[in-house]
Amino acid sequence: MIPLLILSPLILLAALGAVWKARPVHAALLLALVLAMIAVLYLTVGAEFVGLVQFMVYVGAVAILIVFALLITRPGDEAAELARRPRSLAPGLACVAPVLGLLLYAIGTGVPGEAAQDCPPAMPVTALGLELFENAVPAVLAVGVLLTAVLVGAALFARDPASKPQPPIS
Amino acid sequence: MRLPALIALWMGALSTLGWAQTTKAPPLLAPESWPRLPQRLVEMGLQAAKAPDWLVSIGSFAAAAATVVAVFLTAFALLSLIERKTLARAQNRIGPNRAGIFGILQPVADGIKMLTKEDIVPTKSEWFLHLLAPVLIVIPSILALSVIPYGRDWLPVPMELGMLFFFAVGTMTEIAVFIAGWASGSKFPMLGAMRAISQMVSYELPLIISAMGVVMLSGTLSLSGIVEAQAGFHLGFIPAWYVLTPWGFVAGFIFLIAANAESNRCPFDLPEGESEIVAGHMTEYSGFKYALFFMGEYLGLFAISGLGITLFLGGWQPPLPGLACVPSWIWFFGKLAVVIFFFLWVRATFPRVRIDQLMRFAWLCLIPVSLLTVPVAAIWQYSGGGALGWLLCSAILLIPFVILTVRFNRRMATSNRRYTFAE
Repeated sequence: MIPLLILSPLILLAALGAVWKARPVHAALLLALVLAMIAVLYLTVGAEFVGLVQFMVYVGAVAILIVFALLITRPGDEAAELARRPRSLAPGLACVAPVLGLLLYAIGTGVPGEAAQDCPPAMPVTALGLELFENAVPAVLAVGVLLTAVLVGAALFARDPASKPQPPIS
Repeated sequence: MRLPALIALWMGALSTLGWAQTTKAPPLLAPESWPRLPQRLVEMGLQAAKAPDWLVSIGSFAAAAATVVAVFLTAFALLSLIERKTLARAQNRIGPNRAGIFGILQPVADGIKMLTKEDIVPTKSEWFLHLLAPVLIVIPSILALSVIPYGRDWLPVPMELGMLFFFAVGTMTEIAVFIAGWASGSKFPMLGAMRAISQMVSYELPLIISAMGVVMLSGTLSLSGIVEAQAGFHLGFIPAWYVLTPWGFVAGFIFLIAANAESNRCPFDLPEGESEIVAGHMTEYSGFKYALFFMGEYLGLFAISGLGITLFLGGWQPPLPGLACVPSWIWFFGKLAVVIFFFLWVRATFPRVRIDQLMRFAWLCLIPVSLLTVPVAAIWQYSGGGALGWLLCSAILLIPFVILTVRFNRRMATSNRRYTFAE
């Protein structure tokens, strides 16, 4: 309970900062911080596997991807971005409101505190692995095929159609 | 003349330790648990002082962490000297020999120099991120060192998901390198950070994929479980380490290359190649912050070598059956010394690669072959590991290796490249 009380305001602050910062690199770093703190939150409630995978995938891969995209693109005009801010506030709130409402509804009608304590203890990783690769094999395979297709598609997009492959000499 | 004397001394020390172990020494003082002595003493002291349980566990963890940090900071200081000495010998020089006998006080002198240097923060930098980067680069290395089993009785943090934890905290280094490059507000660090991140992302894949076969065969993600799965001997004297199987040899070799690249060492030291981009992401750092970068790099090298030893070289298992009387952590650190010396040797031997060679090597050679080791590990498991298994697995691994080698030895035609940013 105590880690939750300490972490959740920090997560909220960092998330607001990620949205509010005009400089994209700052926003990306704050987003990485948010994702890392969520991983810590998972670790504190005993979901070690989820926490570590969250750290590895989101901080290690997604944040790095965003940062890399920032590095190879032209930085935008920060003053223009700040000037646009008031106009983008209303559509942004319109998007956020339904999600927030749904979340509040789910929390309000979900398991009350008493039932939450009956939930099973942390699942061992072997059980999780068996569950994934025995009962959920079709889903895992489908995701694998989808990701492979995405990878091949990305490679095709990234290829410069004008340049021919370099022929070997000798 | 000196070598036999050294060997005799070494054997004498080993047999003394072995004798001390077989006699009925109290478990607290057995050589096997010497590294855990500080932790035990803190626990006993706190319990004697009637401290509450949470304080005892915090104290115990702090003592375990302090032991690891003390051991590896000493090893870092020693390695910085040994590396300079080894490189010097390889280049027919003498190396540092002024501070103390054989230059043994050189690390102390370097430390004092680093601490007393002016701490320069460029005006164009962002001071907070500039300060954060060197700190963030040391933390993951120390965290990674905490889950490695150094001995039968010495595992600082027992963790069921040790290997996952190792790779998860390792990803923090990439963010730290990016912060260092970006916050310096200068071109060389930025270019160095871009190189470093692309290299780390590319070489992390073969690193993790080559470790996959080990997890499959040992059936656990816990590093101590992986070490225990490699116990025992074939034919009475060949240790049952994973490196001594066809797939394990290939995977271990890929792990070694990828570990070398992951810790930005020669021949993969493009992110900080002096003749190209000054010092890469560390260009704008001075004094103690620069020292922290070096510390992070060397601690990372220790951590990743330790993981390689745990996965492929049997961790703390002795190499011959009769040697189990020697404390297990001596075997671990002996193997660590051999692996680190191998890295030094590689650094002294190979010239730096070009960036396109680096990327092509990772994506066209290391990743396909490491992907191949995963099914081969499964074939090895189900073929029972006899002569048939050796033949089959070696054939599956050798054929693509030969094809790739022929392919890579062909000279590639280079077209003219235009550097649009330089015009």
